[in-house]
Amino acid sequence: MKGKLVLAVLITIFSVAFITTDGHAQDVRVYMGLSPENNVKVVNFVKEKTGISILQTFQSFGEIEAKVKSEAPNFNADMVGGCGSPLAFMAKKNKWSAPYQSPAWRGVNPVFVDPEGYWVNISNFSFVLVGNKDKLKEKGYAMPKSWKDLLDAKWKDQIVMPSPLSSGTANMIRYAFLSLYGEEEGWKYLAALDKNIHHYTRSGNAPTDLVGRGEFLLGITSDENVKKRIDEGFPLVWSVPEEGTGYDGTFAFIFVGTKMTDACKKVIDALGSQEFSDMMAGIGYMTPRPAANALYGKITPKYIKLDLGWAAENRAKWNDVWKEKFRTEFK
Amino acid sequence: MARAESFYVPESNLWERLKTFINAELINLFAVLLFLLLVIFLLYPIIAVLIKSVKGPQGLTISYYLKFFTKGYYFRSLTNTLWLGFINTVVCLVVGFCLAYLTARGPLRLRKPLKVVSMLPLIAPPYLFAISLIILFGHNGIMTKAFGIKWSLYGFTGVVVAQTLAFIPLAYLMIENTLRSLNPNLEESAYDLGASEVRIIRTITIPLLAPGILKAGLLVFVMTIAEFGNAAILGGRTPFLAPDTYTMIIGEADFEMGSVLSVILIIPCIIIFFLHNYLLTGKKFTTIGGKPVASEPRKMTPFVKIPFLLIGCFAGLAIVISFGVVLFASFTKILGVNNQLVLTHVKNFDSNLAIYNSIKVSLIAALIGAIIGTLLAYVIVRGKFFGRSFVEMVSLSGFALPGTVIGIGYLLAFNTPPFKLTGGIMILALNCVFRFLAVGVEAGISKLHQINIEIEEASSDLGANFVTTFYKIVLPLMFPAFVAGFIYTFMTAIVSLSAVVFLVSPGFELAAVKIFDAAVYGEIGVASATTMKLVIIVIICMAVLNFLTKRTGFDISQKKGV
Repeated sequence: MKGKLVLAVLITIFSVAFITTDGHAQDVRVYMGLSPENNVKVVNFVKEKTGISILQTFQSFGEIEAKVKSEAPNFNADMVGGCGSPLAFMAKKNKWSAPYQSPAWRGVNPVFVDPEGYWVNISNFSFVLVGNKDKLKEKGYAMPKSWKDLLDAKWKDQIVMPSPLSSGTANMIRYAFLSLYGEEEGWKYLAALDKNIHHYTRSGNAPTDLVGRGEFLLGITSDENVKKRIDEGFPLVWSVPEEGTGYDGTFAFIFVGTKMTDACKKVIDALGSQEFSDMMAGIGYMTPRPAANALYGKITPKYIKLDLGWAAENRAKWNDVWKEKFRTEFK
Repeated sequence: MARAESFYVPESNLWERLKTFINAELINLFAVLLFLLLVIFLLYPIIAVLIKSVKGPQGLTISYYLKFFTKGYYFRSLTNTLWLGFINTVVCLVVGFCLAYLTARGPLRLRKPLKVVSMLPLIAPPYLFAISLIILFGHNGIMTKAFGIKWSLYGFTGVVVAQTLAFIPLAYLMIENTLRSLNPNLEESAYDLGASEVRIIRTITIPLLAPGILKAGLLVFVMTIAEFGNAAILGGRTPFLAPDTYTMIIGEADFEMGSVLSVILIIPCIIIFFLHNYLLTGKKFTTIGGKPVASEPRKMTPFVKIPFLLIGCFAGLAIVISFGVVLFASFTKILGVNNQLVLTHVKNFDSNLAIYNSIKVSLIAALIGAIIGTLLAYVIVRGKFFGRSFVEMVSLSGFALPGTVIGIGYLLAFNTPPFKLTGGIMILALNCVFRFLAVGVEAGISKLHQINIEIEEASSDLGANFVTTFYKIVLPLMFPAFVAGFIYTFMTAIVSLSAVVFLVSPGFELAAVKIFDAAVYGEIGVASATTMKLVIIVIICMAVLNFLTKRTGFDISQKKGV
């Protein structure tokens, strides 16, 4: 009997101690969707620069958007540290974001800052075509020069790209092609491309790893992890086909109703610094303040002409079209 | 005599009256309290899902259901899911039976290793097998390259294989448990009368094992169609209900269609749950009463032994290889490209917080779950209140509720004040408590059925009040059930994904979710390394728990109680 008592007491003390030691009260909870490892880099940067600890879980842009939409107005985070343009514009429109004119962001290219301070764009990213060097050589295929080359039947089931439902990269890919070819022709292109796609991944960076490990020959993927993977030794080649690529921002804003406003403002300030731009450019992002880009070098890639506001407005409609076309089969 | 006096005197003494009242009514008070908990944390979330699936912008609507049944995509998703559940259940039961039979009756030398191997998948997230299959049979996998195997892994067959391997231990555990408590006398007599082993298995062993097999079938079916890690990683473009629900909720915030899919997912589970209950009525305790005889069962005849060994060893080998390659992958630089051994993945400590959270959540869940489970079992067996069998049904329904549904239910039910729990750690723990409650409750019920109520009556006749009786008699007797509930909840909570994936928030992420994410993003090295860390931690925790329970005099493996 004594043993049981001791065990019970032990368990109770242990559990109570365990439950009550919650040291996260002073930390800022942030939704971030860069890529798992780039998220960590931003967290470490902020910690070093301001001493503020960020708690984050990685999710794709589309997933963050879904989460914020479903939680509004009781958000389970204090701010967003990386989301796509659709959510940033939506948050401003619905007054989910608190305006903040950060002094640290003065002198930045104005397209990176909302004039009313409802969001900042911490970096632009694009999509690129990646191929597995070894596998391409094995098959004797050359890297496609044009996006149209991807429609060749020889690539059937050999291409992976992210799903626009969950991934911001894929959303960008979709609106880039719709802008490039016009809505009608753009959908025709996507439908033709669909025949060669093995499957749509959840996150925009997944194709980089899948192609890098040789699971698939080609991938349309976010440029965020490409440089790092090549440095790590993945047999990857990447290119921006001749028509050019699209871009989207990585937006940050503070939620209305957070108890951590001051800390959040400090985080936003830190993200506007030159050091931050330097770090992001070192990964391969296009940054708010000029910095040497490690992926593209001195040459700015050719961009497809885009209207992000128009793209954000049409996102829900295009998601429905996409589902009808590529997912829901009427039989 | 003192007691008799205190019964009549205390008219004026409020305290004494209160004590008498508590003595008489405590069990009912507990019943009400526990029932309230069940309503809030189990029924309410499920009802929230049901309501969401029929509530349109303008009142009630069945339009979402119409959409489900008119679009081929969803229908294919449903048939795929049911096929997956059916195939998996059958295969797991067959393999589980072979393994259980071998570990109970097979060659002595093989028993222990086979047992360890069959239980091995329990300590890892189920989608470990998706990772290992990619490593082995992916387009750039080890086997694919070595033997030129052209198996298109990404699709239905890949998911079936991964899910089967993941849920063999569940089937094995249930069947083996029943098999061990089986009275071998019947089988022995049949031998002596000259029956062949095949005939004995067919006409005696399997019918006697029916309760265990049925329960195993139910559990495997529900788990297979709900745990979506393997399907999400390996499914490619093949639709299944559970991962589709996940994409809808997490990716699109389409709660209406997500709820419809959840309701559809519940229906087959509920049908099987009732079928299982119906088939077991009156059969429930026939096997538990039997005392296992110490005599060593006869040697298996080769005619039975060889096929059983083939199936058992093949399954065992597949499990061991899977764990082996995942271990290998966690030390490999770039799997399939550059197989240099490195420590970078293991030294990636980004997942530390998640692992810490996982342990914490599982321990909290296990403690609360074991307490509630034991109390519930007591109330159900000894209580005499209206609706007792309903309480029993609700508390055992956790067996039949897919994790995705409970996860979405919690998200819907506890996202707004006054029940705002999302964004914290307790929602993760509570969700595990009520999902896995059934095992503790059932263990408690079967334990209590073995304890004669006369012991308790004797205690109260001798003057002990209810609290004393409960503390001195009931608790010690039920302690093994408490431990069983604790360990089951802990082990399942730490590796399960299907419900908690909807409930994690910044700062409260869990290892199982982290691994799943890494695997989905294609980062096999990180996924493997984190899996291995989790496995090692689970093993350590189990060892400590085992040590503690042994040390305090309660062998968790004991079947007969005190």
